[in-house]
Amino acid sequence: MAIIRVDRVDKSFPTRHGTISIMQDISFQVKDADFLAIVGPSGCGKSTLLRLIQGLDHPTSGTITFRDQKVDGVAKGMAMVFQSFALFPWLTVSENVAFGLEALGWDPERIASQVERYINVTGLDGFEEAYPRELSGGMRQRVGLARALAVEPTVLLMDEPFSALDALTAEGLREEVLQLWRDPQLPPEAVVLVTHNIEEAIQLADRVVVLSRRPGHILAEVPVDLPRPRDRKSGPFYELTDRVFSLITEGGAVASPLGSGTPPAG
Amino acid sequence: MTPSASPSTPPDEADVAPARPGAARAVSGPLFSRRSTARAALLYAAAPVAFTVAAAAGGRLSVEGLGAYLPTASLDVFYSLLRMVAAYALSLGFALAYGYYAATRRTGERVMIPILDILQSVPILGFFPFAVAILAAATPHSFLGPNFASVFLIFTSMAWNMVFGVYESLKTLPAELKEAAETFRLRGMLLFRRVLFPATVNRLVYNTVLSWTAGWFFLVEAEIFTTNTSSALRGIGSYLSFAASAGNLDKFLAGILVLVALIAALDFAVWRPMSRWAERFRYDQAPSGESGVGVPSSDRPGRIRRATHYVTRGVRVGMTRIRTPFVQLAAITARPGKPSSGRRRSLVYYASLGAVLVLCWLLLIAIAVAILDVFTSPISGTVRQQIDLVPLAMGASIGRVVAAYLICLAVSIPLAVHVARSPRAERLGMPVIEVVASFPATALFPVIIFVLVPYLSPNGAAVLMLLTGMMWYLFFNILSGVRGLPPDLVEAARSYGLRGRQFYRRVLLPGIFPALITGSITAFGGGWNTLIVAEYLNLGQSHQLAVLGIGELIDKGNALGGSGNALMAVALLTLVGTVVAINELLWKPLYRRAVERYRYD
Repeated sequence: MAIIRVDRVDKSFPTRHGTISIMQDISFQVKDADFLAIVGPSGCGKSTLLRLIQGLDHPTSGTITFRDQKVDGVAKGMAMVFQSFALFPWLTVSENVAFGLEALGWDPERIASQVERYINVTGLDGFEEAYPRELSGGMRQRVGLARALAVEPTVLLMDEPFSALDALTAEGLREEVLQLWRDPQLPPEAVVLVTHNIEEAIQLADRVVVLSRRPGHILAEVPVDLPRPRDRKSGPFYELTDRVFSLITEGGAVASPLGSGTPPAG
Repeated sequence: MTPSASPSTPPDEADVAPARPGAARAVSGPLFSRRSTARAALLYAAAPVAFTVAAAAGGRLSVEGLGAYLPTASLDVFYSLLRMVAAYALSLGFALAYGYYAATRRTGERVMIPILDILQSVPILGFFPFAVAILAAATPHSFLGPNFASVFLIFTSMAWNMVFGVYESLKTLPAELKEAAETFRLRGMLLFRRVLFPATVNRLVYNTVLSWTAGWFFLVEAEIFTTNTSSALRGIGSYLSFAASAGNLDKFLAGILVLVALIAALDFAVWRPMSRWAERFRYDQAPSGESGVGVPSSDRPGRIRRATHYVTRGVRVGMTRIRTPFVQLAAITARPGKPSSGRRRSLVYYASLGAVLVLCWLLLIAIAVAILDVFTSPISGTVRQQIDLVPLAMGASIGRVVAAYLICLAVSIPLAVHVARSPRAERLGMPVIEVVASFPATALFPVIIFVLVPYLSPNGAAVLMLLTGMMWYLFFNILSGVRGLPPDLVEAARSYGLRGRQFYRRVLLPGIFPALITGSITAFGGGWNTLIVAEYLNLGQSHQLAVLGIGELIDKGNALGGSGNALMAVALLTLVGTVVAINELLWKPLYRRAVERYRYD
């Protein structure tokens, strides 16, 4: 059953030079137990799409529903992990994790035990009283993850969560996210990951939605049927990566009837 | 990881960071290192001791006499402190409320910010009629009238800068932090407590320290001002003024000692711990103890951009951030590459809006003057003569401010280059400069009158006093500009053999141009505000300073009372009009140009 339905969504922004269309005619669904990745070149509206789903912004036309309710304003039941971590520098690690729970109006004891649980789950124990600026990038993103998981969202939204990290740290954290995802004790019933890293998408997701250059539209929905753990060096992994890559590079030029996008450079 | 190295850091977010870590380090460690604290302590202690010893050695001071005056002096300083606290509490409440609404409500932005623009560009003297009106409205010899008036004046020197601090922190809060708060559905008090208030704390603390330094300056000025009238305020300013006019050196020194002690105590017990604490509330994620040393040069451009953009962030006089509201506002409106939300207004729109608001302001002053009963009392012949002098006086005052400015400039540029280049000069010189600059120069004006007027011409003394109100603004801004020069540009210039004058003309001056403009704007603001005490000080028959100038006419009008108020009003209107015109026609365009053309990115 579909948790999220994105139905013929358009988004455009007015600017000084007229209206710019960010994405056109986007439709897809996020199903139960789905790990969905959205990939596309930069500027194709991936992150905007995620914000539309969360309800931080409204589509220009089309609808988005979450558990059969139209998303109108920030929806309960979804939590976001941000590219820049978006941790509050004046709050400690525990306070950052407790952030969303306070807003839910939980009582302090319940918050404390929940915070402790998710700090342990994300490997942050010992850093409860640290401030974000005292942590490395990888540790900061763990806090972002713990904060999102702590509110026990139905859907976890991840906006380029590994892009601000160095390659090694990112790889380690990806593995951990997969482990958390596989743990049936843990909340999210679905994950939507936005990334420009094709390999990352194929390594993590069950399905990959491929967006074109701006104005973004869906080029393909690619199922990833590789067994886990996935080996990046295996033939099938490479073939899939290559296929998505060609979709983006070729599709951007061919599939844009308005000719707005110049042929991709590389 | 440095803030600028983080690819996700939008450029404007970085602007909020208090200057370059390097700049802060260079001044006094990450914030206040232990060593700089110790040095400052030493200096605070040394200054009055040296003063006292020198006076004693000159045989003009008896230690017992000095001791006898300490209790009265302490009491008077305490009265002044109460006024400062009251004005600060008012400013804080005002800043939080006004800044919050201006930043979060659309109408707030359209209406409240232009209003503030006018308020801040009016020299603080422009608020005197209101203060005097408050005085007049109160019953004669009442306790509250003069106190309200002085608290109001101190408020006008403290508040705007704090409002901009709040407004700017809220406007520049990184989008992702706002979104994070939104995705977790924070509302109401929780949103204020967890996000909005903490977001303003860092800037508020910085601006608080600045406001207090400015506040002391005006407190003393306002109290001296009232000694010309029947309702003199009890406080350190009037104390010093009376002591000087009575020629009582013991009494005067006791006052200075107590004032220095209080400023030092506030510095150590309040501002330093508070600034340290406020570090936590910075938005950028840089380790707080990071120093500029050893940072790869590839990181520099980002920082430098920040440093020039927010030229003066983190640079302190004592602990003063030298950015008047004018510059803060200009920085907001002229921020390049970031079109202001909503439609872009044309210059004509702004100009006409500005004109309308200036007119409203002048009208308000006129009403205040009317309340003062000016038009019921006939204007006497002497007053009429003086009014005729207003244009000439305005010209003379502009001349003095410009002269003082040129002297400041001639001193500041080489000095700043020297301090920035030589770690030794910086280590030894900066604490001295910080401590000296944190002391309100107005308190020493009586000494200038007594000691220097015989040697300098009255005009020389007036320019000297203006200097004290302008110098630091220019120096600290230029210093941060010189420090912010990209090392690779300097190296490039060297490798192509640029030396001496050519180096100044091609690299240094263009490189520090934005800082220079910021410093000039703030210095001029300081100069206008000092005029009222720099051109006219009456310390008894034998010790009087009066040079023809707009500040002098304002003082005279105030002292005359009755139809003298008309003189004060005309002089004030002229001053306010001139200053606002200079701001709009000279500094704003220059600032825009500086930000647009002389950036490194």
